Amino acid sequence: MRSYVADLHIHSCLSPCGSLRMSPQAIVDAAVDRGIDVIALTDHNTCEMGPVVAHTAKKAGLAFLYGIEIQTREEVHLLAYFNDANACNALSEEVYAYLPDVRNDPEYFGDQVVVDEQDNIIRTEEKLLLNSIALSLEDVTERVRAHGGLPVPAHIDRGAFSLLGQLGFFPETTVYPIVEVWGATVPNECGQRAILRSSDAHEPEQIGRRTSVLTMERVSVEEILLAAAGVGGRSIRSEES
Amino acid sequence: MMLLTDVVTALGLQVLTSGVGFDREVRGGIVCDLLSIVLAKAQPQDMWITIQRHQNIVAVAKVTSVAGVILADGIVPEQDVIDRASEEGILLLATKESSFVVCGKLFALLSSEEE
Repeated sequence: MRSYVADLHIHSCLSPCGSLRMSPQAIVDAAVDRGIDVIALTDHNTCEMGPVVAHTAKKAGLAFLYGIEIQTREEVHLLAYFNDANACNALSEEVYAYLPDVRNDPEYFGDQVVVDEQDNIIRTEEKLLLNSIALSLEDVTERVRAHGGLPVPAHIDRGAFSLLGQLGFFPETTVYPIVEVWGATVPNECGQRAILRSSDAHEPEQIGRRTSVLTMERVSVEEILLAAAGVGGRSIRSEES
Repeated sequence: MMLLTDVVTALGLQVLTSGVGFDREVRGGIVCDLLSIVLAKAQPQDMWITIQRHQNIVAVAKVTSVAGVILADGIVPEQDVIDRASEEGILLLATKESSFVVCGKLFALLSSEEE
């Protein structure tokens, strides 16, 4: 059992709103600099940059979780975490198929570039990634779990793109043992759910501005769920930094 | 006094729910797709115009006691949402017209009565 400092909500240069400076090496360097042990990459509606950031992270001794931040039909942002690239890719491909065929306007939204470990641009994503897919929150949640992923509603206390903002309260039919909270105050609606805080970094300087401490056996989706339930001394702690 | 039945007829709305009455009075309206805002602002005797089809609309309509819900833009929720609304006595209505057009017609209808 050990305690991991975690920042599980980070955007790369592939997200239109993510800075072009958010290259794999810049992300990993910032995380190491801030004493973080585990990161997750959570670009909007894609995980294409996952493998290269994972490789860069592992070389620097950082643990890595594959992730994606999906924007559902209700304009709710749902984070999803996976142990392996293939499962995350499979989910990401389903998400992409339901993403409207709207072109990105880089002047307005920002560039969407896939880069390699040396910051070379491999390709430019033409479809606007920051858009709602044509699937409901419930449907997406089921698909994430079907691929072995962990769904976590993002920044539920924010005014925009949050579960509580868009839907008013937690739907009865879907269970989320873990939710991400942005501010210092945990909304009453959260009840007994475990609270995760992460940076939602779009610039290298923002990495680690919020973190959580995960006490568990190893870094995996299963262990995080056990930590949320407080099994065998595991825990999730977070505070606004 | 304007009743739901008058609104449904005047606006040519499709009735999605079954077994829900049309005898409630309508006095105003709210147009919003963010359920947190609807929860905070909707009044009983409002018609709620939205394109939000998530299951939570039934609970929000119940809690706020709005007179009825109009789903605009040809949006139709899943059958289980419609069934839930029927069970809860929430009138769900649908139209292919936009929220803008529905609001205009409803506003004109309610204003005409005041004159």
